[in-house]
Amino acid sequence: MMAKELFPEAQEIRKGRIRIETQKDKVGEIIKKLKDNSYEHFVMLSCVDWIKEGKFELVYQMWSYQYKEHVMISIKINRDGESMLSMRHLFPQIETYEREIHEMFGVNFIGNPNLKEFILEGWPHMPPMRKDFDTEKFVKDFYYKIPEVKEE
Amino acid sequence: MTIQKEFELFIGPNHPGATGNMSYHIWVEGDKVKKAETRVGYLHRGFEKLMEKRIWMQNVPLVCRICVPEPDVNEASYSMAVEDLMGWEIPERAKYIRTIILEMARISAHLLTVGGIAASLGIYTAAQWGIGDRDYLLDVFEQITGGRVYHIYIWPGGVRWDLPKNTKELLTKVLDYLESRLPLYDDLIMNNKVFVRRAADVGVVPKDKAVEWGVTGPNLRAAGYEYDVRKLEPYAAYDKIDFEIPHYPKLGEYEVLSEGSDIYTRTAIRMLEIQQSIKIIRQALKDMPEGDVLLKHPQWFAWKVPAGYAYSHVESSKGEFGYFVVSDGEKKPVRVHVRGPSYTHGINVMETIAPGLNVADFAPTAISLDVCPPDIER
Repeated sequence: MMAKELFPEAQEIRKGRIRIETQKDKVGEIIKKLKDNSYEHFVMLSCVDWIKEGKFELVYQMWSYQYKEHVMISIKINRDGESMLSMRHLFPQIETYEREIHEMFGVNFIGNPNLKEFILEGWPHMPPMRKDFDTEKFVKDFYYKIPEVKEE
Repeated sequence: MTIQKEFELFIGPNHPGATGNMSYHIWVEGDKVKKAETRVGYLHRGFEKLMEKRIWMQNVPLVCRICVPEPDVNEASYSMAVEDLMGWEIPERAKYIRTIILEMARISAHLLTVGGIAASLGIYTAAQWGIGDRDYLLDVFEQITGGRVYHIYIWPGGVRWDLPKNTKELLTKVLDYLESRLPLYDDLIMNNKVFVRRAADVGVVPKDKAVEWGVTGPNLRAAGYEYDVRKLEPYAAYDKIDFEIPHYPKLGEYEVLSEGSDIYTRTAIRMLEIQQSIKIIRQALKDMPEGDVLLKHPQWFAWKVPAGYAYSHVESSKGEFGYFVVSDGEKKPVRVHVRGPSYTHGINVMETIAPGLNVADFAPTAISLDVCPPDIER
């Protein structure tokens, strides 16, 4: 069955692109149902920072080779430390996407044991893909100043 | 004295098996690989963050830098996402030109990979040939776009300018030359007994897991699926062009030696795709209509892209290359997320199929998955 028949709330944003807005406790169920209905290619997991709303949007994206349709399952969680359950049991590559989002946005995925360093190494600062991380200010503070010498 | 059974090895960040700046950390026992971990981060330039700080048009010269061997897929995919949000339909001639450019890029990337796979098995001549023959295509790129490596030619709304008048002659000459070279590649690589023995049945991606693991492109087709974005969701002028999708077990002139998606089949698929790309370019050159190549759109400083979500994907030489773009109706994107094919091939797939490999087969397996690290870390 196609996504629109499975989920009445799904909206077609353009031809072959479906968007489902849902709550975080329903994501696992939706992905599983889509996977069983020939949406068998997990394309990617994205995170969008909506800083004005104070939310992170997680977008789980899947593709069906049979129906030639791309589905975006979208949920919003609070920016200040709300966690999400890991979905790595459904598709193994989700583990890496979660690892990256944990590093770049600071979202915690419960049940993912592999949230270790991915791209950044020894990064003590704010996760850099957050909108409030100011790249220019960081560069000026970090590289353009002569550090103060302290007595040993 | 205690005997250390396990030994740690670092493959890369500079190694024939690790293309570009990435590395694999592997644990071996004797000469068997026990465990592998992919290490990335040597090449992170923060493209996605930079894109949020720039206006839509300023991102075009940025995105091509995400993949060095085949930069045009980025420009095409990003432009298609912007066109999707804008609701633009590009001129017919621009579609054909995009097809030509994308196929030229595919051939040049495949030559590099096929040469690389052969080199990792000791046939160093192939790598020199691949790089040498690729250069003739880069010459044509230079004639058309002004750039050899990064072309910045495909723009939202079409292509930057029309093809120079002598393109057809130049390109036909190069294609004829490449076609005459392919039998020599076959003799050197595909019919080479050393290659066949080392490559067949090594580094297998199981067919029943390939789709679930997110394998795409030639690696998926080598496993036996006839899936290609050019056919599934035709972009540019692919819907008007007659071409085939080489896939296992239809390997044309090559012998079917294994169960699929091993190093040998993945190489064979790439060789067959070069033939198809030559065919596509010839057709596109023949059928290309006259007309405009760029939409007459507003001055690009003034672009405001309507709010919304868009995902556009193209078939790169490595697999599905996609751009997820979010706009809030302003002059700059809210978020651009790049889906590179290497993200799954280089990390999950490689880490899963590596245990059990002979350590000498590790590099050929890694390179035959055609991993391009910059699209992992963007």
